Amino acid sequence: MTNLSQDKASLLEVDGLSVEYRLKGVSLRAIDRVSFALQAGEAVGLVGESGSGKTTTAMAIAGLLSPNARVSGGQVRYRGNLLPIDNDAAMRPHRWTETSVVFQGAMNALNPVHRIIKQIAEPCILKLGMSRAEATARARELLELVGIPTDRGTAYPHELSGGMRQRVMIAMALACRPSIIIGDEPTTALDVITQAQILKLLGKLRSQLNLALILITHDLSVVAESCDRVMIMYAGRIVEDGTVAEIFAKPKHPYTRLLIESIPNPASGIRIIRPIPGDPPNLMNRPSGCAFHPRCPSATGVCTTEVPSLEKFGWGRVACHLHRSSQEGRVAVHA
Amino acid sequence: MAGNAQEGRTSRIGNVLIRAAITLSMVATLNFVLFRVIPGDPAALLLGGARMSVSAERIEAQRQNWGLDRPLFPDQILDYLSATLHGDLGYSFKFRGRLVSDLIWERLPATIALVGLAQLIAMLCGVMLGLYAGWRRGGAVDRIAMGASLALYSTPSFWLAMVLVVIFSTALGWFPGYGIYSPGASIGSTDKILDYLRHLALPVAAVALGLIGQYVVVARAAMSDVVTEDYMVTARAKGLTNGQMLMRHAFRNAMLPLVTLITLNLGYVVAGAITVEAVFAWPGIGGLTVEALNARDYPVLQGIFLLLGVSIVAANLLADLAYGILDPRIRQ
Amino acid sequence: MSESIVRYSSRSRARAIKSFLSNLLGHAGAQLGLLCLVFFLVLSAVPNILVGPLETVATATGDFLVPPSSQHLLGTDEVGRDVLNLVVHGARISLTIALLATVISLVVGTTVGITAGYYGGRVDVWLMRLTDFFFVMPSFVLALVITPVVLEVMGRGREILGFRPSLFVILVVIGITSWAFVARIVRSQTLSLKERTFIDRARVVGSSNLSIMVRHILPNLVPQIAANGALVVAGAIYVETSLSFLGLGDPLQPSWGTLLSLAQRAGAASTGAWWYLGAPGLCALAVSLSFVLVGNALDDTFNPRQRVIP
Repeated sequence: MTNLSQDKASLLEVDGLSVEYRLKGVSLRAIDRVSFALQAGEAVGLVGESGSGKTTTAMAIAGLLSPNARVSGGQVRYRGNLLPIDNDAAMRPHRWTETSVVFQGAMNALNPVHRIIKQIAEPCILKLGMSRAEATARARELLELVGIPTDRGTAYPHELSGGMRQRVMIAMALACRPSIIIGDEPTTALDVITQAQILKLLGKLRSQLNLALILITHDLSVVAESCDRVMIMYAGRIVEDGTVAEIFAKPKHPYTRLLIESIPNPASGIRIIRPIPGDPPNLMNRPSGCAFHPRCPSATGVCTTEVPSLEKFGWGRVACHLHRSSQEGRVAVHA
Repeated sequence: MAGNAQEGRTSRIGNVLIRAAITLSMVATLNFVLFRVIPGDPAALLLGGARMSVSAERIEAQRQNWGLDRPLFPDQILDYLSATLHGDLGYSFKFRGRLVSDLIWERLPATIALVGLAQLIAMLCGVMLGLYAGWRRGGAVDRIAMGASLALYSTPSFWLAMVLVVIFSTALGWFPGYGIYSPGASIGSTDKILDYLRHLALPVAAVALGLIGQYVVVARAAMSDVVTEDYMVTARAKGLTNGQMLMRHAFRNAMLPLVTLITLNLGYVVAGAITVEAVFAWPGIGGLTVEALNARDYPVLQGIFLLLGVSIVAANLLADLAYGILDPRIRQ
Repeated sequence: MSESIVRYSSRSRARAIKSFLSNLLGHAGAQLGLLCLVFFLVLSAVPNILVGPLETVATATGDFLVPPSSQHLLGTDEVGRDVLNLVVHGARISLTIALLATVISLVVGTTVGITAGYYGGRVDVWLMRLTDFFFVMPSFVLALVITPVVLEVMGRGREILGFRPSLFVILVVIGITSWAFVARIVRSQTLSLKERTFIDRARVVGSSNLSIMVRHILPNLVPQIAANGALVVAGAIYVETSLSFLGLGDPLQPSWGTLLSLAQRAGAASTGAWWYLGAPGLCALAVSLSFVLVGNALDDTFNPRQRVIP
């Protein structure tokens, strides 16, 4: 399959990954043949509307799919080794020591009845076999690292602000020195200033600790500030993949273009936010051909019948019939 | 910050106390009013029971003696409240000349033994089973436990008691079906305890089974709510084993609502125990209630009502305080 | 869900009701419960056709405490009455008491809940304090002291609405002591509904408070009231059975609880007359369980909680 970097071994390789949810006997494909690679220290944004499969992709990589989900195809390799992502028990040693997740701390991701220092220290004790004192010392270090005064460690989550809770989540994610951090909408519930601070903190820690970051968000502007690369997802597929600079300067997929145009940009003088017309796709009843064609301003006949495959295009990849000049005539194989 | 927290805590406890005081005063008022609306002169009732005639002079003398000739409000109600606060609940109709407080006091240990033991067993079995069912929702244990619990939950506990008697006492002869001690020869103290426990077995089982049904249902619901919480996903992402997730993260959070529910339930436990005691002729508060009902012994009935009211309010106070300790969000 | 009820278009309402019913009937528990309830409703609708008039000591047809036989399918009681006859007639008494008590409880609970939630402020505080009292004091305990006193005041004798006075008192007392949790739920729903725009709209066009509560808020509460109503019935059966068991029922109109009380006095348990105590108890259990199952299914249908996709 398409791989951006065949020359050197990637930290993480996702190859043709498909996940289905069972819903009252009906099977529903949440992500469909998703492929990408992640290098050590690289920051990738995974962007899409809700239901686009971005969260499912990330949870599949972390081996955190819900019980009614099933990996129906593809594989995930970590440092060249196959990850048993659909086996809960087998994934356990990998979790948090290699891949950790920063959930929306503003929500209920922290246990309300335990002090935050205990929650940060917990994986050190359970996963790294530290003593309680060592783990507490490590937790203090981590608090300092994310900019929380260590004496706040005895606080309970509800006693902290949303931004502070998000910092605690980050400190917790760093506890076992993982190589990959998945940020699941880590700044969504925060105000703009706190959001910027958290993104800055993530960026600083990333370069300091050589972390790879997968940032899930519906907000392209967040990605612009903190990622090297963006992957746009639509209806369970990656529709475009490229560097931040390239995608913002020259979006290829019409969906990407509309996403970028929907960002309010005070500098450009355009004050009106242009929402993308039409409804997000219904996974139960996926449109034929390119799933985006009902909302696409440039859809042509072929878009309604043929699924565009994700092809290399310039420095990145794109799945759109409008950008297939080189492979004219090749028909995407549809399962 | 600390001052605010302190203030918040004080006002919360203040609220809890106000609620308790209001409930208690309503119990007392109800007691007072109900007692006065009964037709017939209280003095005559007290002197002779409902069905005897007593000379008019004696009644009049007694009326003055008891202050019944004074206005209902505020004199009589204040007298009533002050007497109640001093533990004076009046005299029984049925057990002539006996103090209601003495009667209740005598019967209390038997009920406490029955209710306490049943509650303990039900909490251990019911809550654990319910938490496990909620943790493994949809599993075999869940289905069986839930089906059985809903049935137990819908079963009047006294009927369960009767069924237990038919099976384990009448048919199998394993346990005695009524009373607290076997009648007959005086026996050694260890035998006496064994005899007592054998008599206790079926009543406790009847009360406990009904409670287990309820506790499984509520504990399962509490655990099912916790299982879908975001912090459980965090715990899973941290690579915790299922056991670690259950013990370190789910258990305490699931227990929080249960503390309140189980304490609130005390009234229902006692209510169930009253009917079960009636089945086994168990000489506790329930037995006393039935005797008082049959004899229309209102002072005793009022005394029991007051006792139940006070225990329920006390249990609620305890629950509120315990919740405050268990849940840091409230403690603040 | 409630949005679909807000819109009054009859077609969308019909569609909502249809999809609701198909969801509800998808629950195995609800099917079982409804089937069982229909069975008992038929029993209580036409007891005379099914088993003849209620037998009394004078019209008893059998020997004393005879085990089930082809003549007496459920055996006889201590005075020779047919237990099947008693149980079928008991169904009518027990169900009517429980349902009427529930109606009272729902009316009181809904009124208190809507009023407290809608007006807020001091009205809310005092109504909720009243509710607290009834919430912590179990209906059974309150009924235990109130019923005998009220009976004493009224005196036994004349029938009220076809009920012997003790039964009438029991059903009223159960009704007015078991509304507290309905009131709490209704209040919290009202609080959230009050903030919705369609209420503002009604206020702007000049609807009175009463009409807003009855026409706009009440219809949206129907799901919660229905689901909890089923649970209230189950509770009412429990309380009625227990009170009657303690001798507060009426032997001339025996409910299942009264039958169990008679069985207990006749020593049915200690003499092994399992049929005498088994039938009324199982009936009470079945009906109460059915209401619980239906209530749970209603609750599940109205408030689908489980997220299927994260």
